[in-house]
Amino acid sequence: MTPVVRTIAALIFPFIIIFSFYVIMHGHLTPGGGFQGGAIGASAIVMLIVAYGARNVKKKAKEESLSIFESIGGLVFVIVGIIGFVAASSFLYNFLVGEPLFGTIPPFGSNPGILNSGGILPILNIAVGMKVIGGLASVVLVMALAGGDEE
Amino acid sequence: MFEIALILLSAFMIASSIIAVWFKDLLASTIALAVMSLILSLYFYMLHAPDVAIAEAGVGACITTALLVIAIKNTERMEEVEE
Amino acid sequence: MRWVAFVVFAAFLLFAAYELHPFGEPDDSRMDDYIISNAQNETAANNAVTSVVFDYRGYDTLGEATVLFTAIAGALVVLRRVKK
Repeated sequence: MTPVVRTIAALIFPFIIIFSFYVIMHGHLTPGGGFQGGAIGASAIVMLIVAYGARNVKKKAKEESLSIFESIGGLVFVIVGIIGFVAASSFLYNFLVGEPLFGTIPPFGSNPGILNSGGILPILNIAVGMKVIGGLASVVLVMALAGGDEE
Repeated sequence: MFEIALILLSAFMIASSIIAVWFKDLLASTIALAVMSLILSLYFYMLHAPDVAIAEAGVGACITTALLVIAIKNTERMEEVEE
Repeated sequence: MRWVAFVVFAAFLLFAAYELHPFGEPDDSRMDDYIISNAQNETAANNAVTSVVFDYRGYDTLGEATVLFTAIAGALVVLRRVKK
């Protein structure tokens, strides 16, 4: 790609990543959640792949590490579910409601919301976000690498 | 007013889908598909489903387009004419 | 033959569109009312959609994550280059 596209992509990349983290972290307060934020973050990495070529991106993020990132997300999801099964009654039980971490119960009705609330929902949002970022980015990276020489 | 906007958006969506099927240039067809996805995300937003709108805009308009463009780059750009 | 299939399919879609509910008026809203009035107390989250997706219907999200994992594993197996 041309230097104009490369410069703009490098400039705009941190903002998209920060917006993706915002959507993931505020998944229990505002529209969005793990899948949506993960799709935004993966689209930022896809933009880098399109602008800089897959070989240059692979120097920074190998597809093995992205795949491991995704697997950690899935593992966190299942482990949180099993903790709910052990500590309380059922699988994926929301055992953090009322606890000091993520346990504040918001007042009824429409309100701006408290970030430190939601029970296990923020943890599951982060897990699904890691899963989606790693998965979609690794698929596009592998497909661009399989196609031969880039640039 | 709401219904008129929905009907207009539906007409644009159908038009871009037909264009995506009709073009022989696969790159232009991919761009038409991205336009359809973007209008669909606007449609979801107007039907009070912002979650689905964000997911559609991220996956449909960005990642699918990038995948198809990478696939076209490594194969043929023009569709083969029958007969 | 192609036109017969087109007409049948279009008639089916038009019938389905004719039978749609008007916007914002569901038939049976007991589940919606329960979730709207209880989600904030039971899951401590303001966003009722996220509390349905990750708490009331957590199994379905786990299944969706499994589908994503399987699809990505298949794509990596097919497309990854093995070093010689």
